[in-house]
Amino acid sequence: MSYLNPLRLNFAGKFKAAPSTVNNDPTHFNNATFKPQYQEWGKGTENGWWNPSGDAVFRLIDCAVTTAFLNGNELSGDRVLSLRVSDSGTRMPAKMVDLDSEQQMVSQIWGLQIRICDAEGNDAFSGEMDVTSFIDIWGRDIGSDANKVGDGFFSTYYQSVLTNVTWSAKVTSPFLAQLRAQTEETGLSIHFIVDGYNMDHTSPDFTYGRIVGTIGPHVAHEPERFTLGRYLAPVATQGYTVNYCTAVLDTAASKLLIDLGNALPTDGLGGPQSNLGSLTVMYQLQGAWQPLCSVDYLAKGWYTRYAGISALPLSRPLNKDELAAIQSGPLAIQFSPTAQLPGGTVLQEATNGQHVRADQFVFRANPGDVVEVDLWMTQWGQPMANGSIQVVIDNSQLQGQPGIWPDVGTPAKAISFPQTLQTGADGRATLQIKTTDPGNPRDYIDGQVYGIRAYPASQTYSAQDPNEFISLLLWDEFTPDEPITWYGSMQPIFQQYANLYPIMARFLNLASYDDICAGRNLPLLRLAFGLEESDPNVMPVTRDLSAGKRKAILRWLTEIGPDGKPLLGARKVDPVPASTPAGQITGAQSHPSSDPLPTSLLIKGGKAVAMSRRLGQLRAPAQEAK
Amino acid sequence: MILLKKDIIELLDGSVEGVRAALQHAVELEHATIPVYLYTLYSLRPGSNEEVASIIRSVVIEEMLHMTIACNLLNAIGGAPVLDRPGFVPKYPGPLPGGVEASLTVSLAPMSLEHVHDVFMGIEEPETPLRFKALALDKDRPVTIGMFYAKISSQLQNSFFSGNVSRQVVADWWPDQELFPITNLDQARRAIQIIVEQGEGTDLEPLDLEGDYAHYYRFAEIVHGRRLIKNPNATPETPPDQRYIYAGPAVDFDSGQVLPLETNPGLQPYPAGSGAQIAVDAFNASYTNFLRCLHQVFNGHPEMLRSAIGTMESLKEQARAITSIKVDAETFAGPTFQYKPVV
Repeated sequence: MSYLNPLRLNFAGKFKAAPSTVNNDPTHFNNATFKPQYQEWGKGTENGWWNPSGDAVFRLIDCAVTTAFLNGNELSGDRVLSLRVSDSGTRMPAKMVDLDSEQQMVSQIWGLQIRICDAEGNDAFSGEMDVTSFIDIWGRDIGSDANKVGDGFFSTYYQSVLTNVTWSAKVTSPFLAQLRAQTEETGLSIHFIVDGYNMDHTSPDFTYGRIVGTIGPHVAHEPERFTLGRYLAPVATQGYTVNYCTAVLDTAASKLLIDLGNALPTDGLGGPQSNLGSLTVMYQLQGAWQPLCSVDYLAKGWYTRYAGISALPLSRPLNKDELAAIQSGPLAIQFSPTAQLPGGTVLQEATNGQHVRADQFVFRANPGDVVEVDLWMTQWGQPMANGSIQVVIDNSQLQGQPGIWPDVGTPAKAISFPQTLQTGADGRATLQIKTTDPGNPRDYIDGQVYGIRAYPASQTYSAQDPNEFISLLLWDEFTPDEPITWYGSMQPIFQQYANLYPIMARFLNLASYDDICAGRNLPLLRLAFGLEESDPNVMPVTRDLSAGKRKAILRWLTEIGPDGKPLLGARKVDPVPASTPAGQITGAQSHPSSDPLPTSLLIKGGKAVAMSRRLGQLRAPAQEAK
Repeated sequence: MILLKKDIIELLDGSVEGVRAALQHAVELEHATIPVYLYTLYSLRPGSNEEVASIIRSVVIEEMLHMTIACNLLNAIGGAPVLDRPGFVPKYPGPLPGGVEASLTVSLAPMSLEHVHDVFMGIEEPETPLRFKALALDKDRPVTIGMFYAKISSQLQNSFFSGNVSRQVVADWWPDQELFPITNLDQARRAIQIIVEQGEGTDLEPLDLEGDYAHYYRFAEIVHGRRLIKNPNATPETPPDQRYIYAGPAVDFDSGQVLPLETNPGLQPYPAGSGAQIAVDAFNASYTNFLRCLHQVFNGHPEMLRSAIGTMESLKEQARAITSIKVDAETFAGPTFQYKPVV
C-alpha cells in the first residue's frame, strides 16, 4: 500500500534544489573547446545556464506535519501534528544529481535523511531515504507564461523508502507509536511532490520551491519506488492539462485511496489548483460508467494539507457491489462542463487494467556489469502471475540534438536483454541487462546513455506513460597509464571536473596539480573520493565517474612519489588530442550557430530545455530498434 | 589574555567528577575559538592574503586538535563529551566560555590587524608572553587557561582511567605524536602539554613540542608583518625575549582584499525571508549538524569523523554564499554561528 495508507502523515513546506548547470550542456564536457564563460550565468549555450555555481544541494526548508491519519481517521490533538519535517541532523544536506547531460529528466536525490522532530530538533524518528529519481514530470502551471517562469512551470514527484529508521522514546504519540509498531521490521514509505520552483537568480527564493509529501508504512515484499496500485493515464480531451495518478483499493477498510497530488494543474507558480469544474471518480459496473464520489480539489488545504490524497467514498465505506466492480474493472476521472471547458473523462485506467513498472528505474553501470531490474506487473492493482512483458530499446525520451550533441543509445549492441519476460507467481520478473564496453561513442563524455521500456505485452507501445522507462548510463572501459600520472591520465578527468563544477574552485583548483598537492588537499581528496556513494560529500557529487576512473584516482592520490606527491609524469606535446570516432559525432566540437529554441528558454534553461530536447514522442518499437 | 572565572577552577576538587566537569569545560573553550578564527578567515577574498590565511588556518586546525584531545581525555576517564546542545555555542560578542567578562570580549569580525592583535592574540596570550621587541610583562596572574590545564593535569590519577579505549578518536589528520589514544596518566599529561604548548609556547621558548611557533606568536607574525626567526646574533647569554625577532620573510596583509563583513552579525537577525537570512540559516544548520556529528564521533562512533570533516569542509562554501550578499552599500553579510537544529 505504501504511503497511500489509512495510517499516514502529510507534510508541506519548501525545498531547495541547487544543481550546477554548466553540465546541462553536453558540449561543455569537451575540454578542448571549453571556454571560461561557460562558468558564467546566463545566455544558454554560450554561458553556464541559470545556476553555474550551484552546489547540488537538495534540502527541506520550513517543512511541518500538516495532518495525520490513524485507521483512516484524521487526527486532532496528537503530538505528531506539532512536529517538523527536517533533513540531515548530523551531516551535510542531500545532493540532487542528473543521470547524464543527455538524460536530465530523472534527477536523483542522494543521501537524504528525513527527520520528524520538534522545534528544538529532538527527533521522533529519522531515516535514510534510498536514492531515487523523480518521475512523471509535467508542465503543471497553466496560469503562467512558461517562458517566464522556466522550471517553475513543472511538477514532479519522488517516492522511496526510509531505512535505518530510529525511533525516540521521548518524542512520541499514539500515531507515532502505531506507525512504529507497524513498520519496525519494514521501514517507511515516503512520497513527495515538488513544484513552483524559483529560477530567478535575483530573488531571495532562488532555487526554492514548494513541497508536499506523505509518509506511511512500507509493506514487506512490495516495491519501494512506486505504489502497487492503479494507474490512471491522461485521455486526450480537448482543453485539459492533467497528469498520471495512482490509487489503491483498501479492501480492509473498503475505501479507495486516490492520490491526485501530481495530476491536476495550478494557476501560477506554486499556485492554487485551477478550476476545471467538478471532479468525479468513476468506476465501471457491468460495462457502464458509474460515479463513485466527487473530490473537492478546490477546497482550501486539499493540496497543502492532504497532499492531494482522498479516501473515497468520503462519508461511507464502499459497498460490496462497488468493491467487486472496482476489483475487476477500470477507474476514471471525469470533469463536469464549465463555461470554458467541455467536460468529460480526463484520466482513465487501461481497459485491461494491466501495468508494468520497474522499481528502481535509473542505473549506472560499468562495462561487463549485469544490471538487474526488478519489474512488477499488476492487473487492477494486484500482482499478476504469468504476465507477459515486452521489453524494447527506447531512446525516445532521452535528450539529444542530432548532429550537434553526441548521439545517445549507440552502439545498441553494447547492451542486450531478453525481449519478452514472464512474471512469477508474485507478479515480478527480473530483467537482466548485459553490458559490454560501449567504446567511447560520445568522445568527450564518458560512456553512453540508453533507454529501455518494459510494458504489458497485451498493450500497445504507444499507450504507455512516456516517463515510465529505464534509464541506463553505461560507462566506457577505463585503463589508466602505469604508473598512474597526472599528465598520463589524471589531468583530463580533473580538468573536466574543474570546468563543469565551478563551485569546486571555492575549495581548490582541481585543474592544477600544484593545488591538488597543496596543504591538506591530498588527504581531503582521498577522503572525498573514497566515501560511499550514498554519502552527501562524496566526490564527484554528480556520481558521474566510472568505477575504473574512481579507482585510478584513488590509487593516484595514494601511490605517492619520493617527493611526497602523487606522480606528475611528463607533459605531452599535444595535451589535447581531439579525436572524434568516425561517424559518431558530427559538428559536436563547435556550438550551433543558430539554436532552435526560443531565447527565453535558453536563458531559463533547466528541465524546460531538457524536455524540449527529448528526441521524440513514443515511436513504434520497430523505429527504435535500429 | 583569557582569564577564567574562579568557579571553573573550583570544579577541580580532586574527584574524578571534578576533572570530568573541567574537561567538558575545556572542550567548550577549545571549540569557542574556532568560529572566531573561521569568521575572519571567511573575510579574506579567495586567492588573496595567502600568508595570513595560512597562519590562521594552521591555528584553526590545531584548535580542532585540542578539542579532540580534550574529548579523548574526558572519554579516557569515563566521561562523555556533550557537543550537541544549544548552550555549547557561545554568543558573539562575549567572553569565551567560563571567561571573566572583563578579561576579553570575543567578536566575529573581518580581518584587520587590530582584530588579530586585540582578539586573536588576546585569546592565545600566554601567562608570560615573551615580548620579542615588545612591551613589558603583565603583573597580574589570575587563573589563565594554562593554569587551568595545569591543575587538570595535577589532579589526574591512575585510577581515573576507566574509559573504553574504543571511544578514543585518532585520525590520519594529525600526526601520531600529536593525536594518540589516551589510556593512562602519562599519555594524558603529554596530551595536555600539547594543548598548552601549541597554544602558548613555553615560558622560555615560543616553540611548541613539535618546534612550531605557538599560536600567540603566529598571530604576532601577522601583526608585525614579518615571520618570527631566530635572532642570528643571539648567544647562550641572550635573554629569552631576545632570542627570536620578527625579522623573517614578510607576511603581507592587503586590507583591500578583505570583504567588509559585518562585525558580530548575530546581534541583529537578518530580515525574515531575505537572502541573507536564508543563507545564514542554511549555514547554521550545517554548523549544528557538524557539532551533532562530532558529538556522535566522541560518543562511541569515531568512524563518523570522516563525515564530520566533510561537513566542516563544506561550511566554507556555505559561508561564501553568505559573504557574497550585501546588507548595505558597504557591508556584506556573515555567518552567525548559531545553534539551529531544524531548518
